[in-house]
Amino acid sequence: MTNQKHQFDASPVLVEDMAPVLRLSLRVKPAHRASLGQALGLDLPTRVGARVAAGGTEALCLGPDEWLITAPEGTDLTTPARAVYADAPHSLVDISDREVTLRLSGPSVLDLLAACCPRDVAAIPVGSAARTVFDSATVVLWRDGPTDFRMDIWRSFAPHVRALLAQVQEEFVAGL
Amino acid sequence: MLLIHCPYCEDTLPELEFTYAGEAHIARPADPSAFSDEEWRDFLFIRTNARGPHYERWRHIGCGRFFNALRDTVSDRFLMTYKAGEARPTLTQEAAE
Amino acid sequence: MSRYRIPGKGRVDHSAPVSFTFDGKTYGGLRGDTVASALLAHGVHLMGRSFKYHRPRGAVTAGSEEPNALIGTSRGAGQFEPNTRATVQELRAGLVTESQNKWPNLSFDVGAVNDRAYMLFSAGFYYKTFMWPKSFWDKVYEPVIRGAAGLGKSPTEPDPDRYASRYLHTDVLIVGAGPAGIAAALAAAQSGADVTLVDENPEMGGSLLSDPAVQIDGKPAWDWVDAQLARLRAAGVRLMTRTTAIGYYHQNMVGLCQRLTDHLDNPPKGAPRERMWRVRAGQVVLAQGALEKPLVFDGNDRPGVMLAGAAQTYLHKYGVKVGDNPAIVTSHDSAWYAAFDLADNGARVAAIIDTRDVVRPDLLDGARKRGIEALTSHTVTTTRGRLRVKSVRVAPVRGTHVGTGRSIPCDCLLMSGGWTPSLHLFSHTKGSLAWDTTSQTFLPDRKTEECEIAGAGRGLWGYESVLADGAAAGLRALQGLGRAGHDASFTVANDRPGTGVSHTELPTDGNAGKARAFIDFQNDVTAKDIRLAVREGMRSIEHVKRYTTNGMATDQGKMSNINGLMIAADALGKAPPQVGLTTFRPPYTPTSFGAFCGYLRGDTFQLTRKTPIDPWAEANGAVFEPVAQWRRAWYFPKPGEDMHAAVLRECKATRASLGIFDASTLGKIEVAGPDAVEFMNRMYTNPWTKLQPGRCRYGLLLGEDGFIRDDGVIGRLSSDLFHVTTTTGGAARVLTMMEDYLQTEWPELDVWLTSTTEQWATVALNGPNALKMLKPLVEGVDWEDFPHMSCAECTVAGLPARLFRLSFTGEIGFEVNVPARHGLTLWTALMEAGKPYDICPYGTETMHVLRAEKGYIIVGQDTDGTVTPADAGLEWAIGKAKKDFVGKRSLSRPDIVAKGRKQLVGLLTEDGSLLQEGAQIVLDPNQPKPMKMVGHVTSSYQSTMGHPIAMAVIEGGFDKMGETVFVPMPDGVRKARITSTVFYDPSNERLKA
Repeated sequence: MTNQKHQFDASPVLVEDMAPVLRLSLRVKPAHRASLGQALGLDLPTRVGARVAAGGTEALCLGPDEWLITAPEGTDLTTPARAVYADAPHSLVDISDREVTLRLSGPSVLDLLAACCPRDVAAIPVGSAARTVFDSATVVLWRDGPTDFRMDIWRSFAPHVRALLAQVQEEFVAGL
Repeated sequence: MLLIHCPYCEDTLPELEFTYAGEAHIARPADPSAFSDEEWRDFLFIRTNARGPHYERWRHIGCGRFFNALRDTVSDRFLMTYKAGEARPTLTQEAAE
Repeated sequence: MSRYRIPGKGRVDHSAPVSFTFDGKTYGGLRGDTVASALLAHGVHLMGRSFKYHRPRGAVTAGSEEPNALIGTSRGAGQFEPNTRATVQELRAGLVTESQNKWPNLSFDVGAVNDRAYMLFSAGFYYKTFMWPKSFWDKVYEPVIRGAAGLGKSPTEPDPDRYASRYLHTDVLIVGAGPAGIAAALAAAQSGADVTLVDENPEMGGSLLSDPAVQIDGKPAWDWVDAQLARLRAAGVRLMTRTTAIGYYHQNMVGLCQRLTDHLDNPPKGAPRERMWRVRAGQVVLAQGALEKPLVFDGNDRPGVMLAGAAQTYLHKYGVKVGDNPAIVTSHDSAWYAAFDLADNGARVAAIIDTRDVVRPDLLDGARKRGIEALTSHTVTTTRGRLRVKSVRVAPVRGTHVGTGRSIPCDCLLMSGGWTPSLHLFSHTKGSLAWDTTSQTFLPDRKTEECEIAGAGRGLWGYESVLADGAAAGLRALQGLGRAGHDASFTVANDRPGTGVSHTELPTDGNAGKARAFIDFQNDVTAKDIRLAVREGMRSIEHVKRYTTNGMATDQGKMSNINGLMIAADALGKAPPQVGLTTFRPPYTPTSFGAFCGYLRGDTFQLTRKTPIDPWAEANGAVFEPVAQWRRAWYFPKPGEDMHAAVLRECKATRASLGIFDASTLGKIEVAGPDAVEFMNRMYTNPWTKLQPGRCRYGLLLGEDGFIRDDGVIGRLSSDLFHVTTTTGGAARVLTMMEDYLQTEWPELDVWLTSTTEQWATVALNGPNALKMLKPLVEGVDWEDFPHMSCAECTVAGLPARLFRLSFTGEIGFEVNVPARHGLTLWTALMEAGKPYDICPYGTETMHVLRAEKGYIIVGQDTDGTVTPADAGLEWAIGKAKKDFVGKRSLSRPDIVAKGRKQLVGLLTEDGSLLQEGAQIVLDPNQPKPMKMVGHVTSSYQSTMGHPIAMAVIEGGFDKMGETVFVPMPDGVRKARITSTVFYDPSNERLKA
């Protein structure tokens, strides 16, 4: 939807705050991955960085026993998860307020990220994500399109990240 | 800045995503109280400080996992990495080169 | 005006004049000039003074290896840069430049007396001269040496420029865009690989820009370069000019410094001055070419003496004749071409003096055709002229015998001692070098990285072979990536192949002992200095280097290393490879600190974390202090209050009624899962099994070595859920330590850890009225069953909350956690509800005072990584019945149970003065120095009880209760009495309201 906006915006990259969503950290051992997936209505991916989405809920595999789940605010995922807890012990922690999310998009977005991300951001496949570092902050970088990213940042780190992004944006404006 | 292969992410990534976590294959004893003072001292403090191939632990920020690596402390090259809990692999000739 | 400029010639824009100043005088130059080329166009050779002898010097090169022509450049306040190479700095409208190392001015310089007294300043004079009398060191020698030390002036204002950085991942990085680099790029770009070609100069083309007569594939050199660059651009190759590869690191990481605005008249607003690129390349091709060596003879440093290749560059790139009447002295064919080109452009070449007996007939023909006197088997023995060379003395040589010399007038002397491959970056990789006896130079040998070296950089000469070599290197790089490509060949007409010989210092007909034959121009190192160093016992080239400072100037010996080595080897009677080459280290050329800092300066110097309540603190006049990465409100001064008054007021208000404190920075970890209690039992010293849901407990965390690592209050929210708090600074460390045990020691446990530090904003309420004030705001808590050390999930002020009843002050206390987005809402609601109780916001200093009055420790302040629970008086926190926990075994180690360990006690000074934290403690103030120190003060504050309090660790402190110890301070010895650490309400009456 914001893609529409880009056609009218001449700036090579757009940095926007995104509205909060429900964000849960799911930890479960591989043996019980399928049960939890069933409870949440998602086939939890096993490759680190892979994502699946169904019915507004999205799961990102961050590690062999760790998934980041997002859903619209107000979605109740705790109750169905709790129902399988006895057979599929796990931890499902609400971290909706731990991070804030920026949307980064536009033709120069890869250069914007390359200012502070040592990882080869261009190599992150569209539709996947990675937990990585941006300068000294740990962030989760979601690649939604070739030039369309979301970045989850721990709340207190966000001003630093925003300040760095603003400096890089000024370079684009200066054309150098 | 080194490149390190994370055995969990199956990807080779910049060193800035990793932190060093000491020598590998030093398991905490199941019953520390059975250790003599000398054995416990060695467990706490005595390390190989290898010149050359060194078994060590790293942690990847990306997946949050601790894993093991064999790194040559002379050339600063990673010879191999493998998951935590896996047996100490023997150093093959080609890996050493 | 610029009478040495040839109209219409060169790559400068003759229709675009640019004016600049040098030492206050305005000069006109052209767009595309460097400061050096513009000055040379006016016949100005004198550009600086040397460091040690203050000898007049001119530009000796036309590139980044320049040792002499160092100038200060200024673009405005704070934008002064010393030691800029005039041969690199491009002209820009209004550029202000000045020469260095001179007083009162460049042509008359008082410091040049050093030159007369050069016998005093021979190699190692630092180590010999300033030995006596000893008392002179502080007052005379050191101030004088410090005054004379340093090259150029440091800027005094902050640098207002901005600097950028960028990571780049590329398949093939090619360093150097001369013929070899361009050919390599063409080859590498064949099959869609991502290719990056960088060059330190403003234009690509390398030596071809100085050799326009060369024809490649039927095209004049410059047309060929243009066409190839267009091809590369079309193929998507990243072309970066003004970009210096400064260092080559592990696994093909190359640092590039790109200069973005120094050449612009009006840099765009917000544009960074430089950008540091951290490039990770699949393959690297080094095509950096070769650097010309000076010849070593008396007076080889006089202004007007320069490298022949540099003169050729000034002629062709800038349209500048470096003189009307040049003489040439050489041991390599290349200088002959420079002489021919100058002659063809109107210079009257005085003579070509070649040290070799045999020179190629076509070169001799070329000289004859142009009417140039060619002297083979000749040498230059000295030069004359005060601020500019006026004549050279030339003499025949037969073996080591020098015949009768004669003087040849000239206005410049162009020299060439052959060429050294530029192997600096290759050396950064610890690639090994091999001495090539034929070319008398080091060539790349064993590689440690995925790299190729091409062209003159590996000793090749002549365009045809260099182009073919570049193409082959590019293809090998491509193949190294697992891709395929075709071979390429180039036909070259008017090629300029060449060979030469290498020399030590040239033989002389004068007094060899008085010859001032320079090797390192910038550091004023002569051939004689090298021989002296060897005579005085230096055997390794590394020692010779440090004793003489040869190669230690800002050019890192680009021109001097090989000459120094040849002479040292000769003096030692060894082959050069046995003497060795000194190590080249990054950066390749001097690089600004700004470029290294990048964005990490000013507000983004380092990450500063702020809590959700920080905006309120800022708006309400808080003074902040940094704690770990956080900035925390330190105290809230009212108008006219100093820190002491503010803190005392905050303390008293809290003890009297109600204080409110932002505790959001506390680390928080959710420990969840069926094995949560088992995990807690293993990690913490305390027993957790019997802790009921809804209750909290102080938790103490040790390292496996038995020393205190962290602490915090931990609430059990349900049978399998713990809300763990950690110290502010320990949050990340503790979580990592727990994850480590869980992943690698106890993977069988069904328990998981999640950091919730930033999920929750935490507000602490403390004071006798805390309960009264809070109660009406809370829903969902059974107050009948909510004693001290309880916790509950509930709502506070209508917000979802986790409420803890605990105290870090000794008063009735609560910590209210709400989701971070509501933190500020909660704070303002509590401030409003607290009005009837004169609620007082307090900062970290008051928090420290109140906890210290109660003897509560702060891990990291009262402990230092060598304090056990017993040392800190915390043995009560150890679950004695537990079989094991992290650190338990260490608590019975012999040195942990030994007598005389430092133990945490309270201190009260006899005179009521405040002790300094960190002050050392002794038992007998009259003992001889050095005194035996038995401990130190860990915490010290003015208290609410009318006298200061302190905590300290003291050897055997628990057995010394009531005894007096001494704290020697600069203004006298303080007496203090050892007490309990609990100064306030020892029976905890106030918690039981």
